[in-house]
Amino acid sequence: MDEEQDKAYTWEGDYERTWEAIKEDEQGSLQSTVDDIIHRAKRRRFLDRPVNVRLGMMRHLFIILDMSKSMEEKDLKPTRLHSTIKLIESFIEEYYDQNPISQLGIITTSNMRAEKLTDLGGNPRRHINTLKKCKDKVCLKEPSLQNSLELALTSLRHMPGHASREVLIIMGSLTTCDPDNIHQTIDTMKSNNIRCSVIGLAAEVRICKKLCNVTNGTYGVILDETHYKELLMEHTLPPPATVNSESSLIKMGFPKHQIHTDKPAICVCHLDSKTSEGFGLGGYFCPQCHSKYCELPIECKCCGLTLVSAPHLARSFHHLFPLDEFTEISTTSLDESYSSYCEACQGRLSGQVVYLCPRCDKVFCLECEMFIQEALHSCPGCASTRPKQVRTS
Amino acid sequence: MSEEEDCDCLVVIVDVNPVWWGQRSKSSHQITLTECMENVLVFVNSHLMMKHTNQVAIIASHTHESRFLYPRRNSESTDATDEIRSADGKYELFALVDNTVMEEFKKLMTESHTGSVHTDTLLSGSLAMALCYINKLDKQSKVGVTRRSRILVIKASDDSASQYMNFMNVIFTAQKQNVLIDACVLGNDSGLLQQACDISHGIYLKIPQIKGLVQYLLWVFLPAASMRDTLVLPPAIQVDYRAACFCHRTLVDVGYVCSVCLSIFCQFSPICSTCHTAFKFMGPPSMKSKKKKSSLPAS
Repeated sequence: MDEEQDKAYTWEGDYERTWEAIKEDEQGSLQSTVDDIIHRAKRRRFLDRPVNVRLGMMRHLFIILDMSKSMEEKDLKPTRLHSTIKLIESFIEEYYDQNPISQLGIITTSNMRAEKLTDLGGNPRRHINTLKKCKDKVCLKEPSLQNSLELALTSLRHMPGHASREVLIIMGSLTTCDPDNIHQTIDTMKSNNIRCSVIGLAAEVRICKKLCNVTNGTYGVILDETHYKELLMEHTLPPPATVNSESSLIKMGFPKHQIHTDKPAICVCHLDSKTSEGFGLGGYFCPQCHSKYCELPIECKCCGLTLVSAPHLARSFHHLFPLDEFTEISTTSLDESYSSYCEACQGRLSGQVVYLCPRCDKVFCLECEMFIQEALHSCPGCASTRPKQVRTS
Repeated sequence: MSEEEDCDCLVVIVDVNPVWWGQRSKSSHQITLTECMENVLVFVNSHLMMKHTNQVAIIASHTHESRFLYPRRNSESTDATDEIRSADGKYELFALVDNTVMEEFKKLMTESHTGSVHTDTLLSGSLAMALCYINKLDKQSKVGVTRRSRILVIKASDDSASQYMNFMNVIFTAQKQNVLIDACVLGNDSGLLQQACDISHGIYLKIPQIKGLVQYLLWVFLPAASMRDTLVLPPAIQVDYRAACFCHRTLVDVGYVCSVCLSIFCQFSPICSTCHTAFKFMGPPSMKSKKKKSSLPAS
């Protein structure tokens, strides 16, 4: 039972003369070529995303962190574990930024067992603080892929059908020590609709590849730290929803921030804390049970209602209404009627290529195009013009 | 030891909606658009006077386009400061800014526009252009120069709900890029700008007496962001972040959110009106039927 290998391994292909890709410009600087290469790599990845695909906006993601002996290798400075924890902290912040109504949990695996570090929740601070304490933990023996998957399964199994269930495994070891038949676990993950992805730090491992293929996840093996960050950040984007995920109407509360002038109270999220944090006059009150919370988004502990504010939902809109790609045109073939200045930043168009928005027909320079596609998600040209109305007589 | 020069960049977006400004009556309590532009120029000159390295840009937000009034497009190729010989001893940069803005402003307002007349300003487009301009300046700046940028919006007309999406994108980008958005509102309160100022940590002010515009600009909006902790400024308002339901446009406390397209409804409906997905009805949990003991057939 052999999987078809569509892509050959790199060493099986032709010899690539990588030095020919680099050219100097008139002043002998390589900066423009470097920018060009980075930009083309970004655009290629951008093009690979399928359009008109339903995305899983409410995500429940478990990160399974390998804490076995192989994570003490020093090929990533200072150790693989330190480097991984630093990158995961920035991943957590970016994840909650891009998916504000989603939840995250962390599981670690070491000494042939798996342990839940933090449960699924919506507060990034809690995860980051617990993760920081993990740096000093000792890495023992071997990881257990099956135990960690089973542990993730116990939580994800009870999640509602409309949410996407995902697992991201960071695997530094080349082996796994499992108590039972892992193929059965893989089939259980598939039947429970859980999408497992793996980022390998060492080399490609066949069982990980099978896991990802069966559950429709992605498998990547890192080349260096920059590539590691890229692979990790790809998972902040919402994945395409599977066929089996149900779409339903989720009841959510939108509390208004209120300040009571006479009754200070402690909020439910800090009820167990030893400090006086959360005690005050103002807060958000759940519309159903009127319990007090100090920040959103949160799930009400008393009545189970998800509390969010409108901007949290608005943060995900750019995934649902993505911007059209700008067409690349070389400066020489540009028509005379177009201005020679970038529409957005008013700078002179000096590069080799300019970018044209298909809707509003305005030209932009490379810097603005990258900014618009990656950060802004709104075309300034389209926002500054009215759609032309055809006059019918 | 050379001191690190930090650069404070201010982008002023002026709402020049001709419909709103044209409807102002000529009474003692109102100002004309020209007077408003003069007040803005006084404010801009004061900002340039605060520090040698301060930069400024002015964008006019019209109903059918947004245009940069300063800097002018071809100002990079010619060193325009040399050409201005001030007659009365005014600092050349002030004279350059004043003259450029007045010329471009006159050109913009006297251009005849064919097409339908709209009453709302294209504010989100101006904000997007301002962010791209700030991004370009950031990329061009030398290493070691700390840059702080802020955008001041002088808004006159009312909000337009059709620009909501672009507006929210701009607000989140500004928050990420650490750009403050301040708002100086001349007309009615604007919910979108209140949200923008709250999320990006800027100041929102609805001017009580429009005749004193220049005083409010110089008092509230002139100090740089680093000085704002030491001053007593208008208090932050409690922004209403409740969502509006898509069917009635009323603010809801508890709503139903479609898991596919995130549209909000006030009551349960079997089909989402935006993405046309059918939802399964969430009834009470069904009781599982107990297994009946199968009666053994009589042998």
